[in-house]
Amino acid sequence: MKNVLWVRASFAARATVILLLLAASIFTLVPFLWAIVNSIKTLTQTFDPSAIIPFVNFTPSFDAWRDVLADPQVTRALISSLVVSLGTTVFVLILGVPAAYSLARFTFPIGANDITLWFLSQRVLPPAVVLVPFYLLLVALRLIDTWTGLILCYSTFNLAFVVVIMRDIFRDVSVEVEDAAKVEGATAWQVFWKIALPLSLDGLVVVAVLVMAFSWNEALFASALASQDAATFSALVLASRSTRGVDFNLAGVNTVIGIVPPVILYFIVQRYLARGLSLGAVKG
Amino acid sequence: MTRLRAPVMEYGRVFRYVLLLPAVLWVVGFTFFPLFAVLRYSFASYVLGRGITGFVGFDNYVDVLGSARFWHSVMVTAIYVVVSVPVEVVLGFLAAWLVHLGPPGARGFRTIIGAPLFTLEVAIGYLGVTMFSSQGGVVAVLLAKIGIDVPWLSSVWGGIAAAIVLDVWRWTCFIFLIVLAGLAGIASDLYDAALLDARNHWQVMWRLAIPLAWPVTSIAILLRTVECLKVFAIPYALTTGGPGTSTEVVSATVYLVTIQFFDFGKGSAMGIVFLVIVSAILAVFFQQMRKRLA
Repeated sequence: MKNVLWVRASFAARATVILLLLAASIFTLVPFLWAIVNSIKTLTQTFDPSAIIPFVNFTPSFDAWRDVLADPQVTRALISSLVVSLGTTVFVLILGVPAAYSLARFTFPIGANDITLWFLSQRVLPPAVVLVPFYLLLVALRLIDTWTGLILCYSTFNLAFVVVIMRDIFRDVSVEVEDAAKVEGATAWQVFWKIALPLSLDGLVVVAVLVMAFSWNEALFASALASQDAATFSALVLASRSTRGVDFNLAGVNTVIGIVPPVILYFIVQRYLARGLSLGAVKG
Repeated sequence: MTRLRAPVMEYGRVFRYVLLLPAVLWVVGFTFFPLFAVLRYSFASYVLGRGITGFVGFDNYVDVLGSARFWHSVMVTAIYVVVSVPVEVVLGFLAAWLVHLGPPGARGFRTIIGAPLFTLEVAIGYLGVTMFSSQGGVVAVLLAKIGIDVPWLSSVWGGIAAAIVLDVWRWTCFIFLIVLAGLAGIASDLYDAALLDARNHWQVMWRLAIPLAWPVTSIAILLRTVECLKVFAIPYALTTGGPGTSTEVVSATVYLVTIQFFDFGKGSAMGIVFLVIVSAILAVFFQQMRKRLA
């Protein structure tokens, strides 16, 4: 789209805009590059921060990558992160999407808006408040340090999110299409499953990605509730941070591993994200 | 008439509850039950393995309210939120406006500036160590060369400042993406009119874009504020709360008290006190969300 604002801008204004955006891009990219450069240095090389360009300033080495990837703890943590993220996403969608549809379509003795808001109270609660009861609940259920325990927690934190966003998206699905199906004799379940859900698939994907990213990222409950066998990558990095000193090259590798999967997810869904991020305040 | 309408009214009468009930039960079980539990624990003396060994009245609260470490962590959290959220809002809005102007490569700029959105916070804090460390940290070394020699990771203010810089790097994109989508919703003929009587684009931004994008921006600010109050991973991975406990945020203090010392009574009381402190902000959030949902 040719933007009227750009066409009418003076040369100086255009130059300023581009320079500022370049500065913002550099600010954003530097940490990524710094992590990558450090990850292919040896420990000794990391003590010289001015050696930046591989092959010119230093000879790249993949020792740090080999060290990290050969560590069974790391592999296990990555598997944990993956299982917990996927498990949470599947479970919370099964739990939340039907509720969201119900709140979008039907009326209730208590207003549907109030019920939605009630769901949101969950999302807003600082996790520090519920850390103790969750810890003790998982102890009682014998789920401390298990994938199930983490999935249970993360589902709780993300449910509100799924309900609020999906309700907003379902409200955009035309009621006429659904009414037509009802006239054809479709049951309420069929209308939901075969019409509303397929029509909301874009939104569903975005919500799934947001839940997955949240679960991949979460560190507080991961460290508190599953610090050994079921430790996620987040928890593992945090634990190694407090027990050992920081080797710059290993830190580089860990950072790259930790941020690559989510950044790829971001690239895939970036166009549709704003609506989900703003809990529906922006219409996509 | 009644006979015709009845089936429509009845439609999904039971089904609506079948769909809704599991989620409602889940929230009751895993949000409201824990919330009542934490209230109960906060009045108890709780020892791991033996459970509640007795109720101690307000002892835990007296402990928490008199704890310098707790109040310090509240202050660190407050500074963290009060500085990083406004900086993220201003930078995020400006970046969104600039991309919205439609320069060549706007899509590329959007992708790059939004890229930190999902990055692992723990890893960012950890990476921050390698940037702010006085031994070979690239930022620390560069700043020292131009005369700004700060012991970033071994002082209170240095640690907080470094964590805030990382938070800004990590979260400005959140504001940016929401505002950018909000700006896209402004009809472009409004700009035509605005350009006629505005002296420059700066004025167009102040007079038109900011007021029109405000509803969306305000939601972004509230969401960011509420999330920022939960902060844990970035500052904790960066400094592990040190030196000493001087850069601990509230989440970190509760975490350490609970998980390291297994003092569940005190941890619960801390959580409740913190909830009371932030409740005004949460109330504003709910009031605004109620408006949006209606």
